Amino acid sequence: MSDVTSPRPRPLHFAAFVMNTTGHIIQGTWRRPSARQTNFNDLEHWVNLAKLLERGKFDAIFFADVVGLYAPYRGDERKYFETGLQVPSNDPSVLASALAYVTEHLGIAFTASILQEHPFNFARRISTLDHASKGRIAWNIVTNYLPNASRNFGLEGLTKHDERYAWADEYVDVTYKLWEGSWAQDALRQDRASGLHADYDKVYRINHSGPRYSVEGPHLVSPSPQRTPLLFQAGASEAGRTFAAKNAEAVFITSPHASVAARDTADIRARAVTHGRQPDDLKFFQGLFVLPASTEDEAKRKSAELDKWIDWDGQLSHMSGSIGIDFGFDDLDTPIGEIQTEGVQSAVAWIKDLVPGRPATLRDVARLTASNVRIVGTPEQIADALATWQAAGVDGVNLINAEIPGSYEDFVEHVAPVLQRRGLMQSEYAPGTLRDKLFGRGDQLPGRHPAARYRGAFAPQPVTGASR
Amino acid sequence: MTANTGPASTGKKRLILNLFEMNCVSHITHGLWRLPGNNRERFNDIDYWVELAKLLESGGFDAIFIADVIGTYDTFRGSAETSIRQGLQIPNNDPSLVVPAMAAVTRHLGFGITFSTTYEPPFAWARRLSTLDHLTKGRVGWNIVTSYLPNAARNFGLDGEVEHDKRYEIADEYLDVLYKLWEGSWDDDAIIADREHNVFADPAKIRPIFHQGTHFKVEGPHLPSPSRQRTPVLFSATASGAGTKFAGKHTEVVFTGGPSAAFLRQTIANIRQAAVEAGRHPGDVKFITQAGVIVGRTAEEAAAKRAEYERLTDAEGYLAHAGLPFDPTTLAPEAKLKDVVDSDGGIGRWRSFDPERTVGEFLANFGDFSRFALFASGTPEEVADAIEGWLDEVGIDGINLTQFHSYDTARDFIELVVPVLRARGRLRTEYDPDETLRDRLFGAGDRLPGRHYAARYRGGAHLPEAWPTADPDFLTA
Repeated sequence: MSDVTSPRPRPLHFAAFVMNTTGHIIQGTWRRPSARQTNFNDLEHWVNLAKLLERGKFDAIFFADVVGLYAPYRGDERKYFETGLQVPSNDPSVLASALAYVTEHLGIAFTASILQEHPFNFARRISTLDHASKGRIAWNIVTNYLPNASRNFGLEGLTKHDERYAWADEYVDVTYKLWEGSWAQDALRQDRASGLHADYDKVYRINHSGPRYSVEGPHLVSPSPQRTPLLFQAGASEAGRTFAAKNAEAVFITSPHASVAARDTADIRARAVTHGRQPDDLKFFQGLFVLPASTEDEAKRKSAELDKWIDWDGQLSHMSGSIGIDFGFDDLDTPIGEIQTEGVQSAVAWIKDLVPGRPATLRDVARLTASNVRIVGTPEQIADALATWQAAGVDGVNLINAEIPGSYEDFVEHVAPVLQRRGLMQSEYAPGTLRDKLFGRGDQLPGRHPAARYRGAFAPQPVTGASR
Repeated sequence: MTANTGPASTGKKRLILNLFEMNCVSHITHGLWRLPGNNRERFNDIDYWVELAKLLESGGFDAIFIADVIGTYDTFRGSAETSIRQGLQIPNNDPSLVVPAMAAVTRHLGFGITFSTTYEPPFAWARRLSTLDHLTKGRVGWNIVTSYLPNAARNFGLDGEVEHDKRYEIADEYLDVLYKLWEGSWDDDAIIADREHNVFADPAKIRPIFHQGTHFKVEGPHLPSPSRQRTPVLFSATASGAGTKFAGKHTEVVFTGGPSAAFLRQTIANIRQAAVEAGRHPGDVKFITQAGVIVGRTAEEAAAKRAEYERLTDAEGYLAHAGLPFDPTTLAPEAKLKDVVDSDGGIGRWRSFDPERTVGEFLANFGDFSRFALFASGTPEEVADAIEGWLDEVGIDGINLTQFHSYDTARDFIELVVPVLRARGRLRTEYDPDETLRDRLFGAGDRLPGRHYAARYRGGAHLPEAWPTADPDFLTA
């Protein structure tokens, strides 16, 4: 716990946790008169938000995404449409260039599933955005836990959990080869006098051949400021942790308590070390919602008022549809019991952690998804709570909203100044790329990251089709 | 609602005016990136695109048309060396991702984005285009291509190019999937946003598509709600047999070309005929061609500019771009092209070159812009005369303006040619506010006409209510 006599803390990092849809994490609040998240189809909605976040010195805007409907709830998908739960939803990546243009420092992180696009094309799109943003792009690497999403891409159903991570391993491997290995840093010459645009001897094919992908290359895009975008990841299962330990630079966690965050961040950092990385090569972002007011009583009143707008059945449906077990027909006092799922495994552990000493019920699930992550109080109290999270090993916050832009306006206006005064939030942006802003160690991945082994790894050879 | 290209009050056909672009240094005028003041090597910089978009909108352009390839030209002399040295479409960046920034600084400019149907699953692309159509409020067009580069195929796990007619077969099914998602999956009144009763969207008006075909299996529903145009304006570039049938069924704006006016007229007639056979009206398809314009305040100024551009043109870039499976610099100059070139596949996009020409003529020709089928150089009036001839005598509806110099080509055109074309009733003097790209081009509303194939899926018609094969495990997996 931080207080005025402690040494000045390091600032936490802040990302706005949003989705290109109406109902992201907290359902039903789109109905409040001041809520504007139904405007998600409009570019201006996002441009204004990005400008607000940059004024407030947020590190990044973080777009979640799914490419299908959640698994049936009460027998079908009706609930998701009716409450606007992540459907309709739009592609987040195409917003990035516009948001990059209207901002100078804000990081732009977005989620993209390995399911939705071939890695060759995806790598190219990321590189394009990293150029357009001058190195401010982050990729949240996800597999897929929605059967409908699988069926949108020609599969019969959900790929087994561990197999999804094997798939992800190969997917990132292809992108690493393209981003780090295909072009030498000095390949692009652009010499008008000689007419030499790029040095042919420094552009390489990758010739990747694996179980799922076969990719010749070269990468079509010249090296962007970060080359590999900042790598976010969120899986908390066994396979997910291993993947994060190997690959992630920023890990999105949803710990129920700071103590769990302490345990999990230590675990993943330790695993990273076994993969040759250093503990501080990873930054952990905890998902939280804060509700500030000038007095504690006022904050509690606002919290109770917010609860009236929340669609609790929608909250339960989100969890139900994520883990792929239909709770929709069960009484709210039904214990959730032992759950085996190919869906989001960490969600089940999350609930159990929150309800120690008795079987968790569906009512707990509905309530906790919208209230556990909520910090209610004065800006000073919120700062105290955030300091507790920081002491548990958390480096940043992925800030959930009940309203766009209201939740972020409140934060920027009331909470950020207090955090900044206490040194818990940056007051000015550091120069440079997103990676350099976060780690202060340059624009590109450190040499001990697995992607770095492809630097210069593809021996100079003719890029030739005829030789095949 | 005034169509840009329909008969105006003057009785004259209006010009569809697009700028031809690509997210790379050397697109189609090889060697010219070296011109003083040329901004081409700024393509990685989003400011390049934003400045360009503002310029084009200031001059009343209908759209920026962005070409794309997803591989490298590596057949000429058996390697990609020439391409890489010259910046010939490598490095090149994704075209769709510079559009949102351009959309943010414009209100009217349209965007034609190239994307291939051969390698990527349709579901994600349908969603991306709908997102773009929402963001731009209906200003998006899609240039449908099937990819022709062997390296592109190998970038996506195939051993080589998918055979030409098969690519069109895949494209046909790809579009079928997209039409189901765009036109059939959501009804127009599906979004209710009823705050009182907590109903955002009405599930009864949204449906999966259950597409099961030869190449794709897609459940749906579409994730975005209906955008202004639903289906973006459909462009395609084609002149081949399979391509003609495809364009007749699907395309609204055909980007075509050819060695002569007669060739173009024949292509236009063929595709209009194919459109009629597909149940559409002849006027449902518009035709645009690549066109080069070099204009000066005086004939001398234009001639000097042209001479400089021709002088810096690099013929080897064109040879590599052609993907020639042979090196003409090693062939007998007197041999006719038709005797050394596989006219069907070997020269691919270069089929518009006259096969009766000799190798020597072919090589000598690159530094002479007269070789372009549609090229005009001179004073504003001379250029405008030529453009009017293309519209009235060749029968095209518009042009993709070739850039010799960025931004001089567009700026010269706007300053010198646009006023003359406006005075002659060939361009509008201002945009209609809040108009979609489709409405601007056709003057018949935001959506595809009911006689287009895509319209058959509206309201969920022709969509199965479940997977054709009953497989309970599949549905509940």
